[in-house]
Amino acid sequence: MTTLEGLAHGFTVALQPEVLIYSLFGALLGTFVGVLPGIGAMAAITLLLPLTYYISSEAALVMLAGVYYGAQYGGAVASILLRLPGTPQSVVTALDGYPMAQQGRGGVALFTAMISSFAGSMLGIVVLVVLAGWLSAVATEFGAADYAAMMIMGLVAASTIGSKHPAKSFAMVVLGLILGCVGTDVNSGAQRLTFGRTELIDGINLVALAMGLFGVAEVISNIRRADRHGPPDRVTLRQLIPTRQDLRRMVAPVLRGTGLGGMLGALPGTGSTISSFLSYAMEQRIARQPERFGKGAIEGVAGPEAANNSAAITAFVPTLTLGIPGDPIMALMLGALIIHGIQPGPLMLEARPDMFWGLVVSFGIGNLFLLILNLPLIGIWVSMLRIPFRWLYPAIIVFICLGVYSVRGSVFDIAMVAGIGAVGYALSLAAFSPALLLLGFVLGPLIETNLRRAMLISRGDPMIFLERPIACGFIMAAVALILFPMVKSVFRGRRPGALPPDPRGIWTKKKGRR
Amino acid sequence: MQRDYHDILWGGFLSLLGLAVAVYSATHYDIGNLRRMGPGFFPVSLGAVLALLGVVIAIPALWRAGETRSFAGRELLGIIVALLLFALLMNRVGIVVTAAAVSFVASAVAPRPGIVWRLVLAAVIAGLTWAVFIEALEMAIPVWPWSR
Repeated sequence: MTTLEGLAHGFTVALQPEVLIYSLFGALLGTFVGVLPGIGAMAAITLLLPLTYYISSEAALVMLAGVYYGAQYGGAVASILLRLPGTPQSVVTALDGYPMAQQGRGGVALFTAMISSFAGSMLGIVVLVVLAGWLSAVATEFGAADYAAMMIMGLVAASTIGSKHPAKSFAMVVLGLILGCVGTDVNSGAQRLTFGRTELIDGINLVALAMGLFGVAEVISNIRRADRHGPPDRVTLRQLIPTRQDLRRMVAPVLRGTGLGGMLGALPGTGSTISSFLSYAMEQRIARQPERFGKGAIEGVAGPEAANNSAAITAFVPTLTLGIPGDPIMALMLGALIIHGIQPGPLMLEARPDMFWGLVVSFGIGNLFLLILNLPLIGIWVSMLRIPFRWLYPAIIVFICLGVYSVRGSVFDIAMVAGIGAVGYALSLAAFSPALLLLGFVLGPLIETNLRRAMLISRGDPMIFLERPIACGFIMAAVALILFPMVKSVFRGRRPGALPPDPRGIWTKKKGRR
Repeated sequence: MQRDYHDILWGGFLSLLGLAVAVYSATHYDIGNLRRMGPGFFPVSLGAVLALLGVVIAIPALWRAGETRSFAGRELLGIIVALLLFALLMNRVGIVVTAAAVSFVASAVAPRPGIVWRLVLAAVIAGLTWAVFIEALEMAIPVWPWSR
């Protein structure tokens, strides 16, 4: 099927009334949860998972995807107006968006975020189509060693790129890998680290882990500080209009951000959070007047917003073509696909073209919806920030419980959420990254299976990782990623202040500083 | 002298945890060999790596000033108790009563005095939960204390 035929086919799927309505619903719900601090796309997708049993698989996936990219739009609102990021991806947006709002240019910042998000998503869709077609052709050549090497490289990239403390990031990845070992060993059937609890035979519940680390830990750290800000200023449509100079300044950062985000999103491990942060660092570095950054530079909003939306779209590349989720949210999507009896992998483009192309087209339609709707709706989103957090978080806690309970009706899982939430809060206080822990947890069993298979094929010879060209490339990249920061710090010494704060420590950073 | 206590404590804890995982797995599961890895191979190696990383995190932190962050102990306790309450009540009294009780307890740690708004909030959340999850989504879970 050629790309054009595929797109035409995709339109017939995505324009079905049912699919269209769920796409719109997902995108709006995503924006809603993105706007509200303390509840993210993860929680919303978890809660919607049980609902997807009752609708067609296309509608289900399109809706969940809508929540995912809708949240990227919404996250920018609280970030710009209150410096209270709704999602981890929008932390960077606050660095220049909030100063813009203080200068009375909040409307322009919001417009910039939206139009950049839209441009990033649209170009991300092009990257998705090109990469997915190419990768699913190449992926049939992939062996166990190549899969294992690629995932290892993904984890290394996630914990080194842009990280202030690579050792702490690695520790979280390894802890996640260990937690991923809990449960029945696929190869031997042995029960590992279950300590005799029958509830753990299937492993730790992904939803319980995610809700504990993100939902609960974030609620705890936000209760005291979320209500300290005053209500945001009203934003009228007129204030959204940028000047001609603003528009001119946006173009190049958006293109650069899209390229960067599209590339990083397609790698397993490096997702939209890292790409928005790297895009900001890049814009600051090439700017003629880097001192404008942090004081309301429009480039600092445009670049990262384009990057994180483009990455959110291309994150579907490894998920759909290789069956490897690049981030925890993709792991949930993968779960949703499998619930509906669809096995993502190299053959999915051939076997379920309706699914793939329908999703691609729905990305486009959903993003267009968001752009058209969000401009007039901006007043509503802003007024939602006036809801005090103390009214919201008890409901969030109840919804988290219900979401976890609905997976398999287990109260043991709720107790797990409580324990994991407490640990997650303590970890975030110490600036450890819960996202990396979850990533290790998701990829752990996949890495172990492929590693063991590879070693079995090579008769215990680890050289297989260097003899196969694909695996060798990934291993070399991983080694380079580890060595590069070491070499750099030896030769140049550390340059403090060259990078914005590590976005993954976000929930611990004092948002009310200065 | 200033020390980064967060990193020292967590580094030490992760180190011990890694060691415990490695030792427990080594004594309980078959490690196998490179060609045929047993169920113990992965956990033992990961435990060892974590133990090492813990040391790498903790040692430099001994000579470095850490950021002090306020510890939200009261909020932590309130939320954890609320979650455990859900685990305790859910299968016994159904979702409506549970939702009200959980949101009431969770709201107890909100930084604003008064009991009336807390009761109203609990009632509203219970009603909302019933409307969305039971009426609209038709989730198959216990609803009332008498429905089994």
